[in-house]
Amino acid sequence: MPNFQMVRRVVRSGLLALLLAVSACSKEPSRWDQAATATLPAPAAPKVEGAKLNSFFLADGTDGYSRVFTQEKPGFVEAKLKKDGQEVATLTISDASSDEAVKAKYASAADKVESQPLVTVGKNQSAVLVNNKFQLKVSSQSLDAEARKALLAKFDINGLAKL
Amino acid sequence: MSDSDKPIHLLLEELPTTSMTTRLLHLLDYVVPGQWQNITNFEQMVKQVTGEEDQSLIQQVGERAIMLYNDPNNGYQKAVWIYQMLDDTGGMAGLAALADKLSSSFNFSKFLDDVTPKADSVQAVDAVVKLVGELCAFCYSNGMPGDSVGDFAAAFANAEKEDAMRVAAFLAFDCVLPLGPDFLEKLTSGIASLTDDTLSGNGRFSKIVSYLPSVDLFGAKELIVNNFNATKDVLARFAAQHGIDQGSVFGRVQGILGNADQKLDYVAAGIDLVSNHFEHTGIQSVARRVISRAYGEI
Repeated sequence: MPNFQMVRRVVRSGLLALLLAVSACSKEPSRWDQAATATLPAPAAPKVEGAKLNSFFLADGTDGYSRVFTQEKPGFVEAKLKKDGQEVATLTISDASSDEAVKAKYASAADKVESQPLVTVGKNQSAVLVNNKFQLKVSSQSLDAEARKALLAKFDINGLAKL
Repeated sequence: MSDSDKPIHLLLEELPTTSMTTRLLHLLDYVVPGQWQNITNFEQMVKQVTGEEDQSLIQQVGERAIMLYNDPNNGYQKAVWIYQMLDDTGGMAGLAALADKLSSSFNFSKFLDDVTPKADSVQAVDAVVKLVGELCAFCYSNGMPGDSVGDFAAAFANAEKEDAMRVAAFLAFDCVLPLGPDFLEKLTSGIASLTDDTLSGNGRFSKIVSYLPSVDLFGAKELIVNNFNATKDVLARFAAQHGIDQGSVFGRVQGILGNADQKLDYVAAGIDLVSNHFEHTGIQSVARRVISRAYGEI
């Protein structure tokens, strides 16, 4: 149907022009603008392979929780802790060796797990810095700081300190 | 700036709050109750993932998430491109999608007059290609979590939130609605009959192949067969456990179309053209993933 084709083309180009005009006029500054074109600085040394971090997580079945790995990237591994199918916490290990800003928050740490500094971040996170290199975190919207600390203690912190 | 170069917060915030896609997704709430909310605001997504209220912490997490996404080596951008390609039908659908975005009263029933249903064999190949795309996007966005194939299958089977909704929409709209209860058998025979010619003639698949590391069309059939075999049990379980059957999906779709006279195969073909369920939920999934990682890394 040539007529339909033509109408379609005209309508489409007209609508596109309208959309472009509208979006060009309505671009308001946003709190995210500064990050929009930025990337993180490259690490001084290559980050440790994600798969090497898996074995230091607390074991599947600990305290009746199931542990499901959900993300694995260079220098970062994430797992979900679940009970009866419901998510209870997010567990992460990341290679923070060359991220000074990340490590700075441990300078004032008052608490320790396995002799490594422990801090809380926001209201839902507890974090340990192992050997000034690896950051372990338990994040949960239902567990309090004590429960999160108890979970952190079940990671293989001494093993990770040797990596 | 093309769509694929946009930062993740813009991609998320440009998703429609109401569209044909969101209406179709909302009707699948009975399949995955409470799993999916249509979050189209980046700050809201940061708050939902972290549960944090402190604005400086939210800023820190959001900025790091955006920067993680911006680095192409992290794979998140490729995941979004694949999701976008899976819904890209070009031509006719382009107009429909535009109409959809501009008007919540898009006349789907009238649109169906111009739709041609696909043969089962074509639909089966299309569905398999979408499954391969989903698995590739999953790997770009999550890596290969765990140490074994079992860990990988567990990660996929544990789909939650937007991921769960996307799997539900794929099963409902791309498999069960057009192909019926024996969709797995039809997919299996569709795969068995695949040739390199059929694949190279499939626009979606040839585009996706260009994003796969060291895969060409000659290795494509093997990739499809392996992916399909690894996940077909998960899919069958998901469909059975969540009660996705042709009658219930069709009945609900008719509910939002407001016209009971439409034929099932026309409705299925029409949904394929107007619904962006992969792109819509895919962008939300990737946003959630980078935010979760940023929160873990800061």
